[in-house]
Amino acid sequence: MLEPINVSLESLNLGTLTPMLIAICGALAILIIDLIKKDLDKSLYVMLGILILAVDLGSVLGQQVNVRGFFDVMLMDGIAIVSQVIILVGSIIFLPLALGKKRFHEYKYPEYFAMFLFMVAGLQFMVATDNLILIFVGLETASLALYTLIALHNRERSFEAAIKYFTMGALAAAFYALGSAILYALTGSVEIGQIAQALGDRNFEPIVLILAAAIFMIGALGFKLSMVPFHTWTPDVYEGSSAPLAGYMSIMPKVAGFVVAIRLFEFMIQSGIWWVHDTLMVIAVLTMVLANITALVQNDVKRMLAFSSISHAGFLMLAIVIGTTKANSALFLYFALFMFTNMGAFTMLWISRHKSNKFHNRYDHPFEKFAGMIRIQPVGAVIMALFMLSLAGIPPFSLFWGKIYVISAAVDSHYITLAIIMALNSAIAAYYYLKLIVYMFLKDPAQNDGTAYVKNASKSLQTVIGICAFVTLASIMFVGPILDTITYMMQVSGF
Amino acid sequence: MDHILSVLIFLPAVAGILGFLVDKNSAKTYAITVAAIEFVISLWLWMSFDGTNSGLQFVEMFPIVSSFGINYYVGVDGISLFLIVLTTFMTMISLMSLTITDNVKNLVLSVLFLEMTMVGVFVALDAILFYVFWELSLVPMLYIIGAWGGPRRVYAAIKFFLYTFAGSLIMLVGMLVMAYLYYEATGVWSFEITEWHKFVLPFEYQLWLFAAFFIGFAIKVPMFPFHTWLPYAHGQAPTIGSVILAAVLLKMGTYGFVRFSLPMFPVASVYFIMPIAILSLIMIVYTAMVAYAQKDIKQVIAYSSVSHMGVIMLGLFAMNAEGLGGSIFLMISHGIVSGALFMLVGVIYDRKHTKLMSEFGGLASVMPKYATIFGIMLMASVGLPLTIGFVGEFLSLLGFYNVSHTITLIAGLTIILGAVYMLTLYKKTFFGPVEHEENRKLLDLNKVEMASLAPLVAVVIWLGVYPKPVLEPIDNSVKSLLSFMEEKTEALETRYDNSDEALEAIEEAKNIIVVSQNREAE
Repeated sequence: MLEPINVSLESLNLGTLTPMLIAICGALAILIIDLIKKDLDKSLYVMLGILILAVDLGSVLGQQVNVRGFFDVMLMDGIAIVSQVIILVGSIIFLPLALGKKRFHEYKYPEYFAMFLFMVAGLQFMVATDNLILIFVGLETASLALYTLIALHNRERSFEAAIKYFTMGALAAAFYALGSAILYALTGSVEIGQIAQALGDRNFEPIVLILAAAIFMIGALGFKLSMVPFHTWTPDVYEGSSAPLAGYMSIMPKVAGFVVAIRLFEFMIQSGIWWVHDTLMVIAVLTMVLANITALVQNDVKRMLAFSSISHAGFLMLAIVIGTTKANSALFLYFALFMFTNMGAFTMLWISRHKSNKFHNRYDHPFEKFAGMIRIQPVGAVIMALFMLSLAGIPPFSLFWGKIYVISAAVDSHYITLAIIMALNSAIAAYYYLKLIVYMFLKDPAQNDGTAYVKNASKSLQTVIGICAFVTLASIMFVGPILDTITYMMQVSGF
Repeated sequence: MDHILSVLIFLPAVAGILGFLVDKNSAKTYAITVAAIEFVISLWLWMSFDGTNSGLQFVEMFPIVSSFGINYYVGVDGISLFLIVLTTFMTMISLMSLTITDNVKNLVLSVLFLEMTMVGVFVALDAILFYVFWELSLVPMLYIIGAWGGPRRVYAAIKFFLYTFAGSLIMLVGMLVMAYLYYEATGVWSFEITEWHKFVLPFEYQLWLFAAFFIGFAIKVPMFPFHTWLPYAHGQAPTIGSVILAAVLLKMGTYGFVRFSLPMFPVASVYFIMPIAILSLIMIVYTAMVAYAQKDIKQVIAYSSVSHMGVIMLGLFAMNAEGLGGSIFLMISHGIVSGALFMLVGVIYDRKHTKLMSEFGGLASVMPKYATIFGIMLMASVGLPLTIGFVGEFLSLLGFYNVSHTITLIAGLTIILGAVYMLTLYKKTFFGPVEHEENRKLLDLNKVEMASLAPLVAVVIWLGVYPKPVLEPIDNSVKSLLSFMEEKTEALETRYDNSDEALEAIEEAKNIIVVSQNREAE
């Protein structure tokens, strides 16, 4: 007969679960409201969603640092908190984008917003644990919700995108499962900390199995982070999803993926398994360079931004390869700034979205669409140019600070060649960002209808753009305090 | 006034933002007024500047990213003071002479933003702050060339941008390495240029870092193999773009050498004297010859402007007070003279919409005032005594004579070559019979053009006859810079006992760096 298990409620430390529970309960509440009263306007769900996420954010900020909970499965360390804050703030920016002037199919359904909150909860689970199983659960919750969100956009291309993402994601999940299975077989544990310990004890033998596990993990996370050669889904999926969702996808799931990557690969790199280090470095450099070169020849702004976000991910992967506290802080600083700039750029595409493709028979946002925008919509053009310059790393706009901090981390660890490669890649990248600026500022207008760029503009979209533009422009004012906070959080969690 | 430098930096930017609300027909007047106020403030700065003090003045500082050592740190010394005055002066003059009417509001606002970045580069004393303004200056210039330029403007603008951007990213890596070395030695992050100056770097690091900074600055100057973007940019840019580009933007590169390379890497600077001198010499001779072959008046002036930048580079690397001071003076005079020449080309282009020499001839009889001013500027450009061009060129070459007699001699002879192509240009355009009948109807300078060109003529002659008020503060700062370099070289010597190459380089540096040529006599 089994002994009854006695668990005191205090040792469970349920406080570590509250952030996710808030998101999940919020999602359920939205579903229940829909059951009770039909035909409520989307604005209700948007505002409700923002409130839920704000409470969620509050509970994250209220967490103590470095606390474990719920049978020691949850781990609220510094990176968990920092990354959750980034994810939640990004999600709060994302939600109002549903309130465009044009009606889009997906926002009619309250399930869209419920699904979105489930996804956020999934991402939060992913970052707030070092248990391989819970990471897997979070990863799959978030991914399945995300596939549906993409498909809800309800155009042929969206279905294609969702299916493509789904099949690729399933493959990645399989890789992940295999990788974790091998690690479990080797060490008898699913907790990354204990795995590291056990592997260290046995002196990283047998190397073949560890190699297999690492390769599977690199494959799995490579899909999620769209590393070369696992990146091919990215541009199509971004193209098929609505602009705000594409912007969202380019950041928040990647933040979560990077947190898992830091937890998984950092101990391998630190313990001197050099081929993991070298493989990651080669993959990261290739990602950065190839994505940059492919971005040069794109005809559509959204596809260009898709490749640019791949390239940024490669750049940030190098921060993991470098692996110092400074590099990891730089990674999160970069994401915190990148979030605003990239969301802003995608929102600029979103407000110019038409129901029908007027400028190109395939693309929504070909470069020609923006020709001569400065003469027709000067404010819009200047703001878009601001985002592009920031993405290109022109000082003093936000991404420059992330960029120099990553490069400086590389220099500190004596990766001078790497630093030069990173710097020169910024120069290549500048070309395609400039291409849009050239179209907007230096070409003759393609049309005289100023409303073409603001077809979908509403007060809430303009507010989001305003916030993003302000952060991008004025980042010089608050990059210091943000950096200090992030560095502190990294130090306490030992990364 | 404590915050005069901040006012000087941010006035044009704030005015530029407010300018969005100004009606487009009044925008030009608005911009000229702002530029004039800015010029007056810079004159005030000059008046309140203590010329006998060789150190930094009007210093302001507050932290931006304190844990990483990035500060808002500005100040001015004798070297940067006149570059600031040059910037505000030339911006004002070029705005006054502006004749473009198409979309002029965006143009003048870009010029105001550009003015902010240019002033910022010259007053920044924090490497990252310097870099911020340095990179930011590319953006308005990209727009000015690309939107109001000639038929191939977009290509020229992008080439200009990417060339400079790529070079300065290498420089950025150099800055980060420098900051890291400083951090390793002292345990504190700092990007303050004054701190970096005090920091004695080992010889090997000096070589590498010098190379990294060299790429950034040399592209801007532009030094010989990196100069290809400039003729394109000049050829396609509108008049105001060329004026600002030649007068101020190029000086950022040479200023960078004075502010960063020389004091931070004195031994490496001496080590690389010969390669740089040879590149400068090629720059002087080769571009002078190319200039002679041009058919387009603007291209002649563009190439001659590159050629004179070569003399500035020679003077900078003379490593003595005459050469360095003369070369800084030459930066000012080159700014004024080449700016004026580009404006003069703009005048004729506005009237005939062509810049080909063959389309003109005999203009002296049709446009006498124009011919006179063009003549004066041309003389200043070839370095006629009693014009502004002579002082700087003479001192630069005199300084470099100390380093190498042969190179100075060849460079000196090239000034004659310069006279050849400039005089040919003048002959073809202004003398002889009027070959094209329609040219007889060309109007002489109008009041606005006179008003913008006359001050330039006045400055050219004033500083040519009496350069002392400018030369003296420059000389003071340059001497303190040089004695500083000397000290640093000596400090480095004590650290090496057996590295032959390093010791040799240091020994050479000690010989070449002289505060004043007549030091023994003192």
